[in-house]
Amino acid sequence: MLVYIVRRVALMVFVLWGVSLAAFVISHALPADPAAAALGNNAREEQLQEFRVKNGLDRPLVVQYGVYMGNLVRGDLGASLRTQNSITADLRQFFPATFELTLGAVVFAVLIGVPLGIVAALTQGRWPDLLARTFALLGGATPVYWLAILALNVFHEKLGWLPGPGRLDAYSLPPPVKTGLVTIDSLLVGDREVFVDALRHLLLPGLVLGMFSAALLTRMTRSALLEVLGQDYIRTARAKGLTRARVIARHAMRNASLPILTVLGTLFGSLLTGAVLTETIFSWPGIGGYATTSAISLDFPAVMGVTLIAGLAYSVVNLLVDLLYALFDPRISFS
Amino acid sequence: MKAALTAALSLSLLATAAAQTSRQSTLVIGGDFSDLITLDPGVSYEFSGSLVTGNLYDTLVAYEGNNLTTLKPRLASSWTVTPTATGSRLTFKLRDAKFSTGRPVTAADVVYSVNRVINLKTPSSFLYTDVANLKVGSVTAPDAKTVVMDIPKTANPNIVLALLTFNIGGVIDSTEAKAHEQGGDYGTAWLKDHSAGSGPFVLNRWDRSAQVALDANPNAFRRSPTIKRVILRYMLESSAQQAAANSGEIDVAMNYTPDAFKAVAAGTKFRTQKADSFLLAYLGMNSAKGMPLEDARVREAVRYAIDQDGIISGLLQGLGRKTQTIIPIGLAGSDPKIYYPYNPEKAKELLKAAGKEGGFSVDFMVSTGSCAGGVPCADLAAKIQADLAKVGIKLNIKQMVNSELLTAYRAQKAPLIQVSWSPDYPDADGNGTPLSDYNAKSLAWRNGWQNAAASKLAQSAAIETDATKRLNLYKQLTALVVKDGPFAILYQPSRPIVIQQSVSGFNQNANGDVQFEKISKK
Repeated sequence: MLVYIVRRVALMVFVLWGVSLAAFVISHALPADPAAAALGNNAREEQLQEFRVKNGLDRPLVVQYGVYMGNLVRGDLGASLRTQNSITADLRQFFPATFELTLGAVVFAVLIGVPLGIVAALTQGRWPDLLARTFALLGGATPVYWLAILALNVFHEKLGWLPGPGRLDAYSLPPPVKTGLVTIDSLLVGDREVFVDALRHLLLPGLVLGMFSAALLTRMTRSALLEVLGQDYIRTARAKGLTRARVIARHAMRNASLPILTVLGTLFGSLLTGAVLTETIFSWPGIGGYATTSAISLDFPAVMGVTLIAGLAYSVVNLLVDLLYALFDPRISFS
Repeated sequence: MKAALTAALSLSLLATAAAQTSRQSTLVIGGDFSDLITLDPGVSYEFSGSLVTGNLYDTLVAYEGNNLTTLKPRLASSWTVTPTATGSRLTFKLRDAKFSTGRPVTAADVVYSVNRVINLKTPSSFLYTDVANLKVGSVTAPDAKTVVMDIPKTANPNIVLALLTFNIGGVIDSTEAKAHEQGGDYGTAWLKDHSAGSGPFVLNRWDRSAQVALDANPNAFRRSPTIKRVILRYMLESSAQQAAANSGEIDVAMNYTPDAFKAVAAGTKFRTQKADSFLLAYLGMNSAKGMPLEDARVREAVRYAIDQDGIISGLLQGLGRKTQTIIPIGLAGSDPKIYYPYNPEKAKELLKAAGKEGGFSVDFMVSTGSCAGGVPCADLAAKIQADLAKVGIKLNIKQMVNSELLTAYRAQKAPLIQVSWSPDYPDADGNGTPLSDYNAKSLAWRNGWQNAAASKLAQSAAIETDATKRLNLYKQLTALVVKDGPFAILYQPSRPIVIQQSVSGFNQNANGDVQFEKISKK
């Protein structure tokens, strides 16, 4: 098991190096000048030159890459060209918001997708199944930005049931930053009001972001369960006189959970990086907005930082999913 | 699920009741503040930075409200301009004011604040060093309440006074800044997200990409009677601002789309404001040798061929003003005359005279984003393309991100470009020099337009201290540039501001400043 993990981590480092190289090459292939982007329309030539020298942009590309990799090995992602902040600090600030949103989305996706899939499988061909399948089709085909605007308009603007954009109500000040997750931070200082506020703010964007995944999970759960339900051991379990609920929970779902887990893992990875639209529409101060602004202002170091953290998150989640396999299915071992 | 929703809803009612008390004293503004990089007044050079630092720091002199031509006292209770052998001397008498830290504002703080900008070489340092020709030592403090500023003949004292109203003129508590210095940075790292000024507000906290929270400064001499806290919420999307304004979550929205603005302006739910700006959206026509728009007659033809009224009424939904010369409306020196009424026939004649009867095609560089006034650049470009096609000029639209666009422009490689410009300080020179003096290596240079007469006029106008003579010089300059220059001014946009009926006193001037202390809420 340990050997397996070490091997996977080593592979991960190699993959991340590839990602960083690709990001470096792509960002530097653009025909635009980051100094001009950072200093704006009114900057003068001397200022531009000074900026280039200060940030090492005047040096040959190979040297720039060497410096970048050297810093990277020491865990330093460099400074943002736009804000002159440390990118590590920037990521530490913006990543938790995205993580919280993604976590919310995954929870909603599981809460909606799995039960709906089970119901669909058990009522195969009848109307609940039809409804669930319609949902799966619509949820998978609806563009997230459209859904986001619609949800905001209906539940916030028209009905007033749920709060609007942002992580917290404008009138309540956020709790001191410890983990960066507002829900956790507010609990840590015992501020119940802010905690509830944070949860309520998470509801709409979480649901919107999780909708596609919920639809996918519904389909996956349904088909995985249907496949399992036809197996001999299910018939045996039924024949033993077990209740229908017990058969499904203990025997069928346990075996159907592997493919679901796989889907969930990839979803989590893609959600983390795919939250850009949801974050923009819900004014969610996460990594998506940071990535967009950085890309638009040719902030290469920041873009590479985001790319790396996205790659890292994806790899870690994948590893965790693989490790969870062993937990769910004793037949799988990594020795 | 349903139970959870009900629980969440009932809890929300409790939360709202508790928040109700602070609602009347808190002002929430939704807007796109993504350009905010620092709250250090000496470093900040962006729109949002000026908006915030203007409320955290006081300048020696200032403009009040929409009057951007008359200087008013701020930290300086009075000032005099006296000629000297080498130029002129500005003497400021300071009023009794206190920083939010409780320390008195002294002349030494003013000297420190000016010198730190010069030494730091911030994006706006050139205003002090190049425009005002100041050096370390030019500003002195003979006593605690007097500041003396010596400027050479090459600088115009009126322009120096005008640029002191910009955020670099913000006076910082030097003791506080020195206490937070790290490695000779004059406290820049700390002042990025802390404040040490005497303005009506102090910075509570800045959660980047989320919100900026300001609290009333109890030591301030400009004080808000009712507003205790101002929150600027990042809402990049107009749709988010609309949703939040409709539900009452924000008091002011700053970035409605022209369509949405038109709709609420017709209703009674909100107050609306078309705030002026000094921004000019224009086409840059490269006049260098060998460029398709080299011939001045061709550039005139372009100006005749553009349907400005159509752009303003159709694309901007009225959120813009028509002007054709390089000084924006609202600054002394602007010229209201319409030199080029829409006239495609006249444009064709000019093209014929220039030997381009059969028309020609040219690359048209356009940003992918949103242009001045909130119009998608692509829509504006399509309109220009259609207008010019009518006279036989074929535009090949090349869309690129703004930074890439700017790079091409700076390299003098844009044959035709769609961009905008805003002066750094409210004075005609903020446009006069960059747009007409080739030697300033700014916009005239980028468009390869070299005109000795224009350079000379711009330079004389910049240092002319007699108001009447100065206006006359600008009259000549604008008339010359409008005829021969490399620009086709498209419009001067207004900012769409949507305000809840319960809010009064919100006013954004053409500089983009809002005095938060003048706002109150019912």
